[in-house]
Amino acid sequence: MTRRVAVIGGAASPNGKLQTAADAPLQALEHEILAPLVLDAMAAAGLPREEVDALVLAMCRPYTLQKYFATFLANTLRLPLEGTIMEVLGNGMTGGLAFDQAVNAVALGHADVALALGVNMESQASSADHAMSSMRATGDVDFHTVFGFTPIAWYAMDAVRYMHEHGATRAELASVAVKDRRHASLNPIAQFRKPLTLDEVLAARPIVEPLGLYEVPPRGDGAVCLVVCAEDMARATGRPYALVRSRGFFHEGAHQINEVPNDMTAFISARRAAEAAYQAAGIGPADLDLAEIYAPCTIVQVLVTEAMGLTQRGRGAAQAAAGETALGGRIPVCTSGGCLSRGHPAYITGLLTIYELWEQLTHRAGERQVRDARLAAGSCELGNYNAALIHILEAVA
Amino acid sequence: MSLPFIDVPGNRPWPPRVSAFTQPFWEALAAGRFITTRGRTSGRLSFPPKPFCPYDWGREVEWVDLSGRGKLYTQTVIHAAPAAFAHEAPIRNGIVDLEEGLRVAARILGEPALDAAMQCVVLRYADGPLFAFRPAGS
Repeated sequence: MTRRVAVIGGAASPNGKLQTAADAPLQALEHEILAPLVLDAMAAAGLPREEVDALVLAMCRPYTLQKYFATFLANTLRLPLEGTIMEVLGNGMTGGLAFDQAVNAVALGHADVALALGVNMESQASSADHAMSSMRATGDVDFHTVFGFTPIAWYAMDAVRYMHEHGATRAELASVAVKDRRHASLNPIAQFRKPLTLDEVLAARPIVEPLGLYEVPPRGDGAVCLVVCAEDMARATGRPYALVRSRGFFHEGAHQINEVPNDMTAFISARRAAEAAYQAAGIGPADLDLAEIYAPCTIVQVLVTEAMGLTQRGRGAAQAAAGETALGGRIPVCTSGGCLSRGHPAYITGLLTIYELWEQLTHRAGERQVRDARLAAGSCELGNYNAALIHILEAVA
Repeated sequence: MSLPFIDVPGNRPWPPRVSAFTQPFWEALAAGRFITTRGRTSGRLSFPPKPFCPYDWGREVEWVDLSGRGKLYTQTVIHAAPAAFAHEAPIRNGIVDLEEGLRVAARILGEPALDAAMQCVVLRYADGPLFAFRPAGS
């Protein structure tokens, strides 16, 4: 059996530095951060706790001492479950897969109400030390890692090729960071809210050329809980909700690069996943009111808007610079502030994406509300967008 | 004909693991040859080398020499390097499309423009080799 599924509740911590130093006398504990968000999210949903029968956790970072955190959390919450409990890991797609699995648990009838949640703690690890782990994730340990490639180095190489082929300028790419910061200034859970100028973005110290500090993701922590349920149950609450209209997925069968030379910046997986999601929902990209895109770097946001048909191939950077993807523009992208400014606690970023869509589609986004938002898309990915998972959600009030 | 050698002081920051299968690749590189595997039934090259052919899953492969010639597809300079690479930073890495139709990621020497003709070279560290590419004729 499959049923229609709704996002009915959510709660998120502010993004930023939540993790404490290993020698701090008072420690920030993951369950003390996440469990209250479960209470908040269920209160927003207006559903009794007894209805929850599935808990899908975005796996914690290795820095989290408590292992098997999902069942530990179920114990903390005294939450017996008839459906399922699991921790999912899917590289950068981890948070998106947690949502996907919670939706499946409801769609398949294993649970009427499911929690999709996570807490990502990593800010106490230095970038250079963290990269010793992440370099082994985004590359072949014996044939890529040996050269020192980092996750964002691949995106930087996208930027170099894209500018070379399409004539996009540094300023056009950098404008995405300025736009996202402006969005984040309106988001209470954003890690960075102070406005940023184009000159500041362009003058920032280089991290992976041509990208500077403000065009790559900040390090940070965060926690989030979403409540999904069967649509009839959502309707019975009388509260507005976001209906899951469709999902699309594609993995190109490559790890960072295709050994057969191809157009690396075409982001084939984002295009295929978007096409599948549009087709299943019976819509096209022009029908969307907003999109929340998993984009750790400015260039990634540009390439995904092109791959999803929100901007034209080769014109995405120019169209972003012209304001088409800003709040008030033709198709607002990353109204949360995105990875760059909302924050990128990577294992829960996919959940934060759906959280933003739920806020927008239930019209609780405050100053960054997209007026009359009805249809929205959320994307997440892994590698150099070697895989993409895209959900389309619809406002029901 | 041997690839050019460039001596690099110290050990490789992150030495590759060598298996019984990949040992011929690393030994050939140390001897100045850039090689990979070709599936006997498909006739297709793969890189990194694999003990089977990823295209038809045929189990019979043979080692073949690569020309080491290609074009620079893209590159970056990594300033924020992993701790083990801090002493080498900033690092110029890139992607080269080989004449044989393979795409390879590697260290880049010099400051080539995109689409420049590139040549494979062997970086001879104290503990073993790595491959890299530099502008052809340089």
